[in-house]
Amino acid sequence: MYDLLPDRLPWFIGGPILGLLIVGLFVLANQPLGASGAYVQTAGLFRRSEGVVKWRVWYFVGLFVGGLLVTRVFREDAGVRSGYDALREVFPLGVTVPLVLGGAILLGYGAALAGGCTSGHGMCGTAQRSPASLAVTATFMATAILTTFILRIATGGAL
Amino acid sequence: MSNTAKLNVIGLLFGAMFGGVLGAMNLHEYDTIHAMLRLDEPDIFLFMASAIVVSAPLLWLLERTGFTTPLGGELRLSRSKPEAHHLKGGALFGIGWAIAGTCPAPALVMFSSGAMLSLIAIPGIFIGLHLRERQQRGAGHSGDGEHRDLVTLSK
Repeated sequence: MYDLLPDRLPWFIGGPILGLLIVGLFVLANQPLGASGAYVQTAGLFRRSEGVVKWRVWYFVGLFVGGLLVTRVFREDAGVRSGYDALREVFPLGVTVPLVLGGAILLGYGAALAGGCTSGHGMCGTAQRSPASLAVTATFMATAILTTFILRIATGGAL
Repeated sequence: MSNTAKLNVIGLLFGAMFGGVLGAMNLHEYDTIHAMLRLDEPDIFLFMASAIVVSAPLLWLLERTGFTTPLGGELRLSRSKPEAHHLKGGALFGIGWAIAGTCPAPALVMFSSGAMLSLIAIPGIFIGLHLRERQQRGAGHSGDGEHRDLVTLSK
């Protein structure tokens, strides 16, 4: 809507802000700023499970709201589109959809098995100097980079 | 305002600020994640590293001074030891992250930005989490980081 933000915030501004958010949530509530846990609690709410951690559901809503404000209000709105531009240039929609779905299922399963995702282990766990989080982060960085290179080779360098 | 209500407001605000930072860094775009994992540009690695460089010493200091949080008692950090499930989960997460080009928080920002393939990615993440949760239900959580406080949901 408005053009208030640069195309991409410089890392040396965005990174420290995120660092302070991580500290801020610990200072106020002694909680890590992780996202996959919020999915689990939100799914629990819809299943009407007992013991749902409500604030994580609000956190889930907040992620959507914050994204909306930045990408569509504070910045020129790119409008409704498919996304996945680089993937769509290489694959038709009939291949893109199962790829995205399969990848998302794998990462969801992996996050639950590992007990966290990029934010929970990669950022908050590493900031806590948790050996398990360091191991998870090193592992997912390695397999993600390796998978990307395999995809690159498999597509003849197109991806 | 009750502590539960305060925690809900904090959850909403911190979610919004985190989502805003992710959006401002373009982390909701497949192309940003893909360029990072192709090692074409260092920005996102530097973004993550600088967040850790800022937060790790502050957390260490707060824990050392025995800081008591207003809503969560004494600050206690997680120091779990690596187990097999961490490595297996991390490996699968990394493969999925590279293929789907997103992870749980950026996928929600992808949706709010208007990228409609997020409507494939987000249900996929829910399905993957559900498949694992179903396996481990009743066995207690194996969590660390953000999953450390998860209760085993009863249904």
